[in-house]
Amino acid sequence: MNTENQIKNIVISVLGTDRPGIVASVSKALFDNGCDVRDVSQTILQNEFAGIFVVSMRGETDFERLQQSLRQSLGVQGLAVFLKPITQGAQEEVLPKGEPFVVTTMGPDRMGLVAGITEVMAGFGVNIMNLKAIFRGGNDPTNNIMIYEVNVPVGLDQRTFREALARRARELELDLSMQHRDIFEEINRL
Amino acid sequence: MLTEREVLSTIEMLKNEHLDVRTVTLGISLLECASHIPDIFRERLRKRILSHAKDLVRICDEVGDKYGIPVVNKRISVSPIAVAAAGSSSSELVKTAMIMDEVAGEVGIDFIGGFSALVEKGIARGDLSLIEAVPEALATTERVCSSINVASTRAGINMDAVYMMGNTIRRAAEATASAGGLACAKLCIFANIPQDIPFMAGAYLGVGEPDAVINVGVSGPGVVKKAIDRALASEKSLDLGRLSEIIKRTAYRVTRVGELIGREVAGNLGVPFGVVDLSLAPTPNVGDSVGEIFQSLGLGSIGMPGSTALLAMLNDAVKKGGAFASSYVGGLSGAFIPVSEDLNIATAAKEGILSIEKLEALTSVCSVGLDMVAIPGETSAETIAAIIADEMAIGVINKKTTAARLIPVPGKRAGDKVFFGGLLGEATIIPVRDGGSGGFVRMGGRIPAPIQSLVN
Repeated sequence: MNTENQIKNIVISVLGTDRPGIVASVSKALFDNGCDVRDVSQTILQNEFAGIFVVSMRGETDFERLQQSLRQSLGVQGLAVFLKPITQGAQEEVLPKGEPFVVTTMGPDRMGLVAGITEVMAGFGVNIMNLKAIFRGGNDPTNNIMIYEVNVPVGLDQRTFREALARRARELELDLSMQHRDIFEEINRL
Repeated sequence: MLTEREVLSTIEMLKNEHLDVRTVTLGISLLECASHIPDIFRERLRKRILSHAKDLVRICDEVGDKYGIPVVNKRISVSPIAVAAAGSSSSELVKTAMIMDEVAGEVGIDFIGGFSALVEKGIARGDLSLIEAVPEALATTERVCSSINVASTRAGINMDAVYMMGNTIRRAAEATASAGGLACAKLCIFANIPQDIPFMAGAYLGVGEPDAVINVGVSGPGVVKKAIDRALASEKSLDLGRLSEIIKRTAYRVTRVGELIGREVAGNLGVPFGVVDLSLAPTPNVGDSVGEIFQSLGLGSIGMPGSTALLAMLNDAVKKGGAFASSYVGGLSGAFIPVSEDLNIATAAKEGILSIEKLEALTSVCSVGLDMVAIPGETSAETIAAIIADEMAIGVINKKTTAARLIPVPGKRAGDKVFFGGLLGEATIIPVRDGGSGGFVRMGGRIPAPIQSLVN
């Protein structure tokens, strides 16, 4: 088998203070190194940019050389870069089939809210697909919100999971709700 | 990925704006239970309801939990008993009502509808027995609801039935005098009754319906009011055209909830999904009122000049938004204005702003009709029948459903208060011009069906 013609997938994360032109710089560097961008997601939190790029590259491209090149070209622009090869089939192995739910919490700010809720989720094997948490401090619940989009595995006792979450929320003085994702889609989208 | 706004606005609707599914109603046909032996009919009725409805409450609660949307009421509607049990005497029909009540209790629901008869063109023997049984049946049961259709656009108004119902309402009130005439709160007189109403007291399963079916009644006056308030807070110059658009969008969202929950409950129960009833159904809670929407839209109170135009706009916008959101719309579908069940409307009636005449005018542009209207206990059967006839005429001529749920509260006069409790709320007795209608009502016969052309 000619390994030089094999396609390799790599995930690249980029961090840095936000400014216009970050995605342009990263994608140019990738292009210059023979990488084909497959998926991109970016977000900005408190003016800090974080981007994840899934790229594919030909077998002849050397991973170490790519890493060095990207760190060099993007590092001088103040961007931190991390690369990891993607093992084929890893996605299917890691994620069990499940149903999408949304867990929302509101309540006074304090240390350990994310840790407290996610510990329960992890204990039940519930995977977080998306998380948005905003903590502006103080006791106004609307200033301190967590929204978790999670995958609840098929076969999991939802009632027990729901009760465990509710118990933890009470300990943390949070108002928590857990609803199937479809209700948000149905109400808000055509 | 959901946006923060999508998630938080949905949760706001649930927590602070009373978004819920007001009722999931399981329709069960009883036609195959028919027997000339009443005991056999009742035994078949019991078994059939138990076999179809034993999991109704559990499944509704599970689906409600899954989506975080409470299903406030779980109910059952059955085939009109006057048809399914035709041939039974009045006393046997009272026993049938008691079995319906018992089995409703066993499956954990709060109301069962269908102690009903369809008499718009004539009263068959079975219909007569049922109407005669209504006062005792409603007085001796908790959960049984009755509806009598006395008029339709195609048949006209059966004035003999209307007069009979005037008398029946009085007897039902007297049979429950110590409870403020409560039996009358479970009795609706209809024109053009739909076959798939999920809301009580009018729910029954029409003879053209399947063996079993799930119909859903949504709610949402609180959600509509808050949407209007928010829009006006962000832009004071909004006109009624744009506000109507906001009501439409809100009705769409509310209806989607009903459709989603209804379909899942139907799927889990293994019965077909019927319709969503797009009604704005209030409760006696602050913030869950149709009357409050009138104030958000600039009227001092429901009942003031402008109310009919406002309600026409509200009702139309709800239908437009809801019709787009659901594949099958049915039932009553419109805004309810039940006086005792809506705190704001009850207050308008108490303060004399809302008269029975204005209520009647409002019913020409909204769903249902004179609903949960408490009137003086001394009101004569002829006057009650005449009020019903007026209400039926609005439905027959305008090709729409109208109904009358009137409660002549024994021993009470105009201005007195009556307390029904729970969702039925409380009301001040509305004055009624009594006397002077007897001659017309006693003439009897049938007012012919109206001409369908020359529409002015």
